[in-house]
Parts: sequence; C-alpha cells; structure tokens
Amino acid sequence: MEGRLANMWRLTVNESKFVETALQYELRVDGRGLYDYRKLTIKFGKEYGSSEVQLGQTHVMGFVTAQLVQPYKDRPNEGSLSIFTEFSPMADPSFEPGRPGESAVELGRIIDRGLRESRAVDTESLCVLAGKKVWSVRIDLHILDNGGNLVDAANIAALAALMTFRRPDCTVGGENSQEVIIHSLEEREPLPLIIHHLPIAFTFGFFNNGNIVVMDPTYVEEEVMCGRMTVTVNANGDICAIQKPGEEGVNQSVILHCLRLASSRAAATTKIIREEVEAYNREKNLQKVKRHSTLAKSEVFGPIVVVKEGHKKSSDEDKSAEISQEHVELKNSKEQEAVASPATFKGPETCSVSSDPAIKGKANDSGDAQKEVTGDVEMEDTPEVTKHKDGEKTLRDAVKPKKKKRKNKST
Amino acid sequence: MNAQVAVSPTSLIDQIVVPGDVVLDLSNMTNQTIKLGSGLRQESDAISAMRAGKFSYSKPNKYWVESSHKRYIPRTEDHVLGIVVDYKADNFWVDIKGPQLALLPGLAFEGATRRSIPKFEACTLLYLRVVKTNIGMNPELSGTDASGKASVFGPLKDGFMFETSTGLSRMLLSSPTCPVLEALGKKLSFEIATGLNGRVWVNAAAPRSVIIVANAIMNSETLSATQQRIMVEKLLAKISD
Amino acid sequence: MEYVNPEGLRLDGRRFNEMRQIVAEVGVVSKADGSAVFEMGNTKVIAAVYGPREIQNKSQQKNGHALVLCEYSMAHFSTGDRRRQKNDRRSTELSLVIRQTMEACILTELLPHSQIDIFLQVLQADGGTRSACINAATLALADAGIPMRDLAVSCSAGYLNSTPLLDLNYVEDSAGGADVTVGILPKLDKVTLLQMDAKLPMETFETVFALASEGCKAIAERVREVLQENTKQLEYRRAS
Repeated sequence: MEGRLANMWRLTVNESKFVETALQYELRVDGRGLYDYRKLTIKFGKEYGSSEVQLGQTHVMGFVTAQLVQPYKDRPNEGSLSIFTEFSPMADPSFEPGRPGESAVELGRIIDRGLRESRAVDTESLCVLAGKKVWSVRIDLHILDNGGNLVDAANIAALAALMTFRRPDCTVGGENSQEVIIHSLEEREPLPLIIHHLPIAFTFGFFNNGNIVVMDPTYVEEEVMCGRMTVTVNANGDICAIQKPGEEGVNQSVILHCLRLASSRAAATTKIIREEVEAYNREKNLQKVKRHSTLAKSEVFGPIVVVKEGHKKSSDEDKSAEISQEHVELKNSKEQEAVASPATFKGPETCSVSSDPAIKGKANDSGDAQKEVTGDVEMEDTPEVTKHKDGEKTLRDAVKPKKKKRKNKST
Repeated sequence: MNAQVAVSPTSLIDQIVVPGDVVLDLSNMTNQTIKLGSGLRQESDAISAMRAGKFSYSKPNKYWVESSHKRYIPRTEDHVLGIVVDYKADNFWVDIKGPQLALLPGLAFEGATRRSIPKFEACTLLYLRVVKTNIGMNPELSGTDASGKASVFGPLKDGFMFETSTGLSRMLLSSPTCPVLEALGKKLSFEIATGLNGRVWVNAAAPRSVIIVANAIMNSETLSATQQRIMVEKLLAKISD
Repeated sequence: MEYVNPEGLRLDGRRFNEMRQIVAEVGVVSKADGSAVFEMGNTKVIAAVYGPREIQNKSQQKNGHALVLCEYSMAHFSTGDRRRQKNDRRSTELSLVIRQTMEACILTELLPHSQIDIFLQVLQADGGTRSACINAATLALADAGIPMRDLAVSCSAGYLNSTPLLDLNYVEDSAGGADVTVGILPKLDKVTLLQMDAKLPMETFETVFALASEGCKAIAERVREVLQENTKQLEYRRAS
C-alpha cells in the first residue's frame, strides 16, 4: 500500500491550478499556443516496416509484420489488419506489466478504427488464395516514453510503419495451383502495402468545463483536463473516426470546431509523414544501388529489372486470385505460352544476366504480360502484340510510380 | 601537511570518474584526515567512486563526486520540496523523490500543538528541511528551521512546480547566482523555491512570466553560462514582440 | 445492397428518422440497489447498479470523488452465432466508455469514499448496444437514487445509400457504412460521448451527428416518462 503510494507520480495542487489559470490567458506550460503541435520527428529502422515517432517527449515505436494465414470465414478474400499495443512499465510507472490495461486497449481500438473502418489499407490486395491463404498484417505499437498524447504519436507510428513495410512476394503454383510459394527478399523485390489514404489522429483536451480546448495535450495537461476527444481525419477532409469516451460534456459547436481544426491540420501532418517516408525510401534504394555497384555492369542491370517485373506480376496475381480461382489458372497457362513464344525477343540485358536465363526470362516476360492487365485495369486480357512495345514506361507508371524512379536510377 | 593533501590526488580532481575508479590511494596519504562526500566509498586503502560524475575537492579535506540525478538521496539539513501523499497517525507522508516516502510529524511546525496540527490535503506542495536520514527508517522532515521558527518553510501556494535534476537544482542554488536566474531576474520579477531534490517552484504575478522562467530553467540543464544568457534573451525577446 | 428503398423505407419498414420501439422498465433485479431493462427493437439490455457502497479496493480510491466501476458483457446467446471470448478488447473499451459517460452525469463529489458498480448485460444484440447500455445504466442509476446532474442518454445514427439513418439495427450496422454514436446530457445540452467510425465527409458528418442528437432528445423524453411513471406508481402503492 505504502509502496504504491510512493511510486505513483502525482500532480501537486499548484501545478493543476496553474495549468488551468494559464490556459485562461491562452498560455500553456510548455510555451505553446492552444492549437500548436509539439515537434514531430519520424525515424525508421533498418528493417522494412519499423518506425519510431517522437512527439515532444512522447516516444512510440511501430513494427509491422505479415504472415500468411487462413482468412476469416465471413471475408474469404480479404487479408486482415490487427493492432497490438504494448504499454511497458518502462515508459510510465503507472503502466502495469502483463495484460494490456484499459488505456492500452482503448488506444489500440482508436487506431484500429481509424485505419481499418476507413479502409485505409487495401486488405483485398492481401489475398493470395481466396478462402485459403491471405496475408495477416500485424502492427505492434510499443510505447517507449509517455509524455502525453500517446494516441496521436502511436497513430503516426503505425502509419509510418505501414508505409515502409514490404511483404515478401509470393506466387501461387504447385499442383492445381493451390500451393503458395513465398519468395525470399533476395529472390524477389518485396511488395509494399496499398494504402489509400492516411487517417491521422488529433487529440484535443478540454479544460474548464469544456470551454477551453487545446490540441496535443502533454502529460501534465492530460492529468488536469476534464475530457478529451480524438478525431481521426485524412487530408481530403474526410472524418475517419472520432472517439470522445464520456467524461465532461462539451457543446456541439465546440466539437465541430475541433473537427475543423483537425481537418485543417491533416494536410500538414500528412506531408511530414510522406516526406519522411520518401526520404527513407530514397535512401533504401541508394543503398541497394551501392550494394550492386561492386558487381559487373551487366549484372547490375539484369537482376533489378527482373526483380521489378516479377514483383509486378505477383501483385497482379493477388488481384486475380481474389477475382476467381479459375482466372488465375487461366493466366498461368497464358504465362506459359508467353514464355514459350517470345523468348527470342528478350532484351540483351536479361540474356546476359546469368546462369539461368530461361527462368528469369520467364519472369520478365510473364511480368510484361501481366503488366498490361493492370495498366488498363478492366481491359480484356492482353493482346500479346503490345507486350513488347514501348508502352512499358507508362504502364509501369500506372502500376508503381515510386518503383519507376528506382529503375531509372539503376539503369 | 595540508599542502600535501592538495598535491597528491590532483591528477583526478575535476576529472570525470565512473563507478569503480580508484580516486585516492590511502597508503601514500598516511596521517591525514579526509572527509568523503557522496559517491565515494572506501575499501581498505583505496577510495573508489560509486557514481559517475566529476570528482571534486574542497579545502581542507573534503572529497565528493559531483553528479546529477533524477532521484534524490536524502541528507540531513537539505532543503527539499515535498508533496503530501497521506496523513496517518499525526504524521504526514511526504514524497520527496527519494527511495522512501519521508515522514513529516504534524508537530514539526512552528506553534503546532496536538490540538492545532496544520491540515494539508493530499498533493499539497511543501518546502521542508530534512532532519533525520537513518538507514532502514523513513527519512524525517521538518517544517521549521533548527531554532524552531517557521522562517521560509511551509506550504507553497499557487505558482508552478516542475521537476528537474538534482544537479540543476544545485546549480540554481549556487552562489554567485547562476547565469540563467541572473538574466531572468533582470527583466522579470518572480519568486522561486528550489529543493535539493530536483524540484523547483516558481511564482510570479503573470502566468506568462512563470512559464518563461520555468522553461528557461528547464532548458538550461545542459547549457554553458553564455548559452544560458543567450537562451534567456531569446525567450524574453519572444514575449516582448 | 439497398438499405433504403425508393419510397424511403428501410429494411424493417422504418423511415430514415424513425427509431425502433422502446420498452423500458426499472426495478427488475431485486438484489440490486437499482436496475433497469431497456429494449430498442430487438436489442435488449439489462443494467444493475450497486452502490454507493464501501470501496472494496482501497488503492483505487479517488480523492474526494466516488469511484465508478462498470462492467459490460454480452450474453453468449445474445447474437446469432455463439460469442467466442468474454473479455475481448471491444468489451473492455465499451466498459471504459460507458463508465466515463456515467461518471460525467453522476455527482461523484457528493459521495466521496464510496463506490458505485454498474453491471451491464446485453441479452439480445441487434445493433446499437452501446446506446442501449447507456440508457439502461441511466435508468438504473436513477432507480438507485444516485445523485445525477442530468439523464445521460445515447443514440446512434448511420449513413447508408447516401441517406442518414437513425438508430441502426444489426444488418444496417454491419453494412460497412458510417456509424455515429452520440451520448448527450439533454438538459445541459452537452455532448459527453461521441464515437464514430468509417469515412464520412465533414458536411455529411454534421447532418448525421445532428440526427443522432435529435434521437438522443427523443430518447431522453421516453426515459423521463418511464421514470415519472415509476415514481407515480410508488406513490400509489404508498397511498393504498
């Protein structure tokens, strides 16, 4: 009992009173204005899909991992996205080890709602074999330091991790085309997730019976405030989730005011995240180039091209898989043909590549064939004639703009 | 003799030591009396450091390791800022950021009698003096000075309290006045109470001044004297706009 | 799927701004200090309140305020297919949300050193359980005679087929459209609970939000009637 008392962090009467009086003068204890955000820094780890977000003193780490699992019965052709939160006693003595507490659960649910219900991540593209195998993406959020406003920081960490995550490529093959082959990262370029929009959470704190609103409350403010609301919005002005879990009532007008504030902020935060992610991707790509540059020139080009095509191919295959099984099979057989006939058209780079030109060539060609499909999405299956025309570039643009850059760089 | 003391260990004085470093060798310092302060430990003839920090010496014979921590180890006659946690059996339990809660007898105030024990609700901030620190017992505090007068001690009203490190609070208490307080004092009028346990309380007429002072002090933790002055000037320039 | 037909009728024949039938009764659990059953169409929730009573776990005590605890659970038979686990994350979150909503309307400062337990059990789930739980809890608290600022009531609204719809049932709820649950203190005209998911543009949200708030006010009226009726009955009984 005494131990508990001694180890609790507590706010003095002076502090709580001061925070409130200062707010009446529109001042906050850390010198910010009422609607100012703290400094946001985003860092990434070496691995795909790990991020570290620092919002003032708050520090959150996000990890994304994926695994092939059986889909839920009610959604046979959709992958799943789940969020796990870890509030370790390291970050705050009030977090207890073991089962996640109420606040951990709530945080997870807010982020989950923002990401999932608004369909930010395309789960349908995570399907490999309808009803049999889908990717289950898991986001782990670790709170490393609690300086207040965990929700916003954790949400950004989740987004940043999702955006830099790459899942291993896989193809359907084997007997009856029912087996899934996962390609290792070395074998094929891993694929990014398809993210439609970025839902960004903004937390507001209410003080003085809901008459004073602040954005991004700190730890001290969180102790004092009488209510809070988290609004998840995206840069297009859509509201993706709201959570105001009881507590002090506020007027409707105040709520609408908060919504507007959040939506006006969303674009700026989205920009920060996108810029950071892009910088990271650029660096990652540069590293790759370096790694290959020690090799002979012809070898530099070859593998990268091949990898690219292969990657496109399977992303298509995902789609086709969810459309219908037969379709996939049909395509596979088509691929075979494609390999058989135009092998002679292979570019010199691919030929010079390596030990096993046949296999790589296959990947390349079939990739081309597939690419057409995505390029003009709903068009009937590709006429093989266009396959080797120079439409390549534009098609690639349609599929994956970022990748294009990389390819150009390398070639 | 004193001269010799000063000479022999010079090599390490004002140097950074880490736990385990042998800072003094008593075998070649016979016939001397030395006083060891915090962070030092004697093992037969060797005096070694227990904490990382600056090994310091003051005449005639005091040695200690100067360091900065977030936690506070109570020492008698330190002035601290405590937060009332509970009241039980005529004693207040006070949190002073130490390893244990400290005990503040309800009678340890000027003019307090059994009938007129002051009443502090939980989370009241008090400026107190450490009286007893026996190992195995909760440290004991007092709300009076050694002569039984209230003088500066007692509850602190209003204002803002924030937590820093013990090193910073020592810096704030050092004389001559530390640059950050001096620079702030030129432009603003405020009240400040610094506890050696790394808690600082600031009060001023305008909340704005309190916030500036608090932030200036928190920022000054890792700054040199000149940097502190520049930082304060910048902060003050911001509000004069 | 079409959730609103061209005549403007929903799957169960309601109009867009029509609520399901509400049946409420207080004093249904004899052991509890206060209790209520609240039905909204096929959604049925039972609430029991114990307290104010001595705090069981001293370390949870709050300074100068009563401790409010809430436990939400869904009966295994409440949905079509048998529910899997009991203490899932949804229940934990709902318990928290309902507790904090009720805390906002209970005058906790009048009952220091005491604890109030709210138990909520969903007997039948057909959409809008969290609203029904809050309404049931309000009735049960009122029945227990716990001092309250106002009657916290809640209602949900959604948006399907570009129509805002009041009080979604299970089919409409699981259609993947937006779902806005609002809890208000009607007399103070303040919003205490607001939860929303799925994507909605700002303007649409405002209309849905307004619709849900209207729904809350209607429910508040009904909750009031139930309590009045109950009080009257008590009066009769005493008189006879």
